[in-house]
Amino acid sequence: MTTSTEAISIAALSKSFGGAKALDGLDLSVAAGEVHGFLGPNGSGKTTTIRVLLGLLRPDAGRVRMLGGDPWRDAVALHRRLAYVPGDVTLWPGISGGEVIDLLGRMRGGLDRHRRDELLERFDLDPRKKARTYSKGNRQKVALIAALASDAELLLLDEPTSGLDPLMESVFQQCIQEVKLQGRTVLLSSHILAEVEALCDRVSIIRLGRTVESGTLAELRHLTRTAIAVQTTQPLTALDGLPGVHDVLIEDHHARFDVDTAQLDTVIRRLAPLGVRSLTSTPPTLEELFLRHYGDEQTADGKAAS
Amino acid sequence: MTGTLSLLRFMLRRERAGLPWWLLGATLLVLVQSTQSQNLYGSPEALQRLRQTIGGNTAVIAMNGPPRLLESIGGEVVFEIFAFVAIVVALMSMFLIGRHTRAEEETGRAELIRSARVGRHAPLAAALALAVLANLAVGVLVVATAAGTGLPVTGSLLFGAAMAGVGIVFAALTAAAAQVFENVRAVYGTVGLVLGAAYVLRAAGDVGSGALSWASPIGWGQRTFPYAGDRWWPLLLPLAASALLTTAAVALLQHRDFGAGLVPSRPGRAQAAASLRNAYALAWRLQRGSLIGWAAGLGLLGVAYGSIADTIEQFIRDNPEIAEFLPGGAADVVDAYLALTVGMAALIAAAYGVASALRIRAEETSGRAEPVLATATSRLTWLAGHLSVALVGTALVLLAFGLGEGAAYGLIISDAGQVPRLAGVALTYLPAVWLVIAVVVVALGWAPRPSAALGWVTVGYCAVVTLFADSFGLPEWVQRASPFAHTPQVPLADLALTPLIVIVGLAAAAMGAGYAGLRRRDVGY
Repeated sequence: MTTSTEAISIAALSKSFGGAKALDGLDLSVAAGEVHGFLGPNGSGKTTTIRVLLGLLRPDAGRVRMLGGDPWRDAVALHRRLAYVPGDVTLWPGISGGEVIDLLGRMRGGLDRHRRDELLERFDLDPRKKARTYSKGNRQKVALIAALASDAELLLLDEPTSGLDPLMESVFQQCIQEVKLQGRTVLLSSHILAEVEALCDRVSIIRLGRTVESGTLAELRHLTRTAIAVQTTQPLTALDGLPGVHDVLIEDHHARFDVDTAQLDTVIRRLAPLGVRSLTSTPPTLEELFLRHYGDEQTADGKAAS
Repeated sequence: MTGTLSLLRFMLRRERAGLPWWLLGATLLVLVQSTQSQNLYGSPEALQRLRQTIGGNTAVIAMNGPPRLLESIGGEVVFEIFAFVAIVVALMSMFLIGRHTRAEEETGRAELIRSARVGRHAPLAAALALAVLANLAVGVLVVATAAGTGLPVTGSLLFGAAMAGVGIVFAALTAAAAQVFENVRAVYGTVGLVLGAAYVLRAAGDVGSGALSWASPIGWGQRTFPYAGDRWWPLLLPLAASALLTTAAVALLQHRDFGAGLVPSRPGRAQAAASLRNAYALAWRLQRGSLIGWAAGLGLLGVAYGSIADTIEQFIRDNPEIAEFLPGGAADVVDAYLALTVGMAALIAAAYGVASALRIRAEETSGRAEPVLATATSRLTWLAGHLSVALVGTALVLLAFGLGEGAAYGLIISDAGQVPRLAGVALTYLPAVWLVIAVVVVALGWAPRPSAALGWVTVGYCAVVTLFADSFGLPEWVQRASPFAHTPQVPLADLALTPLIVIVGLAAAAMGAGYAGLRRRDVGY
């Protein structure tokens, strides 16, 4: 069965609202049992994708499969097996947090009373307060506890930690690690890169409703540049004109430059005869990975506007 | 008070799509009534005949106002239309204030405003200024319409001023209520209740000695007697009341925290009750407060109408010569009155039904439907949950009215049989009310964005047809489009089941069609 290998498989998904294209041929593949980071700038289509997966939106074109079913047709059956945390949690003002957690759990088909109470403790949430008095972070906790207290095999989390403080952020990371150990699947849309680096096996970066990168963090790093700082005994002359070398700064025997990670080997071979006295190599951070695509976005926007 | 003026400009901008419709509605009511009345009763003889028939018809007096107004043709116009325009204007004022004060605080938008260079009192002051401006506009439009259709200018000025006075009182009342309650629904509920009481009190006063009318802002307006003596001093009453209520609102505002009311909200349950387990339970939990409020309000209205019914009977007994002119004698007059009041109650029940069904849309646009639909709850169950409240709730609300009216009337004439009888009479209107709800369901499925407008226009249409079909001389086909026109006018007429079954069938089909639309569209847009 496909479900054992792929929890989510999306191919060439498109969705428009009126004239605005929210998704434009998006591809996404999430293997069962992995924590998959879903990254992209605001308005790139992350929430729309998740709403399609929830069967709330009907796709215009493309193929969407989730847990072996069709999210639109088999919505109710699939929803018994997944839990969802919206990015912007709105609750019923007159109902307490504890009641919301219980209600959502029961409507999904039952929740683990024990785990619910334990999560309330860990997230330090007062379940007796009415939802109207909760802050954004506390509303977020209500939705998180409701999702984590279930035994759903798939968690769809849309920027789940956007209102949480650093302490709660680390509680959240622990919880996701536990979920991972239990072999459950998580689709985590997030802006917090440290969180993604800490939790995710693979990531997909989307932009303007389209997938631009997808793979493990190591694979993605391979596609970007590594920063090198080097000191040699002989003058640094051979660097200019080398393929894959960018932004070179030479100062006598010192040099700083970026190199396409794919060309790293060639460049090091060229440096070795010069007598390397020190060398530091900094792999690209997720931030840089990210900014590269965000930067592209700004250029793309600029082009579209002009 | 800093920032009041720019806030007022902003509020006017936000109201530019809605407010003109309220003004237009009020103006049209006066315009149609004035031309129609002058057509029908323009001659002194016709007016004289009208005075004789209406002067003895307590039901009409209870619905409209004090019969002294019938002295002149202008007064006749005021008699027929004042109370209804007053209700429109009061509701306009209530929504204007509620929307721009408590609702803004509740959503947190006011926080953003207050963080700017805006004084603590500025939002309230701007909202009140907005309401006063809107009511002055109503006044000017009433004066222009009345004088423009040929009524005396002095009386028209008083008519307009009295109307604006009613609106301003309810604006100030809403401003005070908005300080007391933490959510705007409670504010509307309370002010709506006072408005209902104001209408009933003046009805009781106008039928009786007149004393009770002085307890009602609508009564104050009517008792300026425009075109029928032109008494200006009662205008001081709305002025004094508004000043008092505004002072109270300001005093309360000064002593409360942002977002808080007078009574802090109590903590809720740590765990959900065992019964709160599906979409039905959630819908009933969310709507039970407003259902209780509407049922209590309509029950009280029933009691009020029921107690007046006896006065009508007594009047006919005291004046047997009037009964001679009535085909069915005294019994028919009472039955006509009861049929009329139940018809009114049915319109209010329809308004409740629309408000309840529109919760479905509010759940969707607020994003609260999303977590529910992400569970194993199907769209059908989600819709049916809320719809069950609208359908059963309207039955309960009508039943409350029938029981109230039956109990009050039955107690006075010592006939317990009136309780089940009038409860049954009230429920006759249930199919028509359901059909109005079905219109909202169709809109939710196929045209969700204008669903609120469509729902309220439907209620408004039915109200105009029911209340004014005769005095406005509306064409036959216009009347027949309202389901209320097809409901047998029990107890005056015999109960006919066929139209009721047809209406229920139509409602069911329309709801099915609405669900078919909801099933295939995107949720949340």
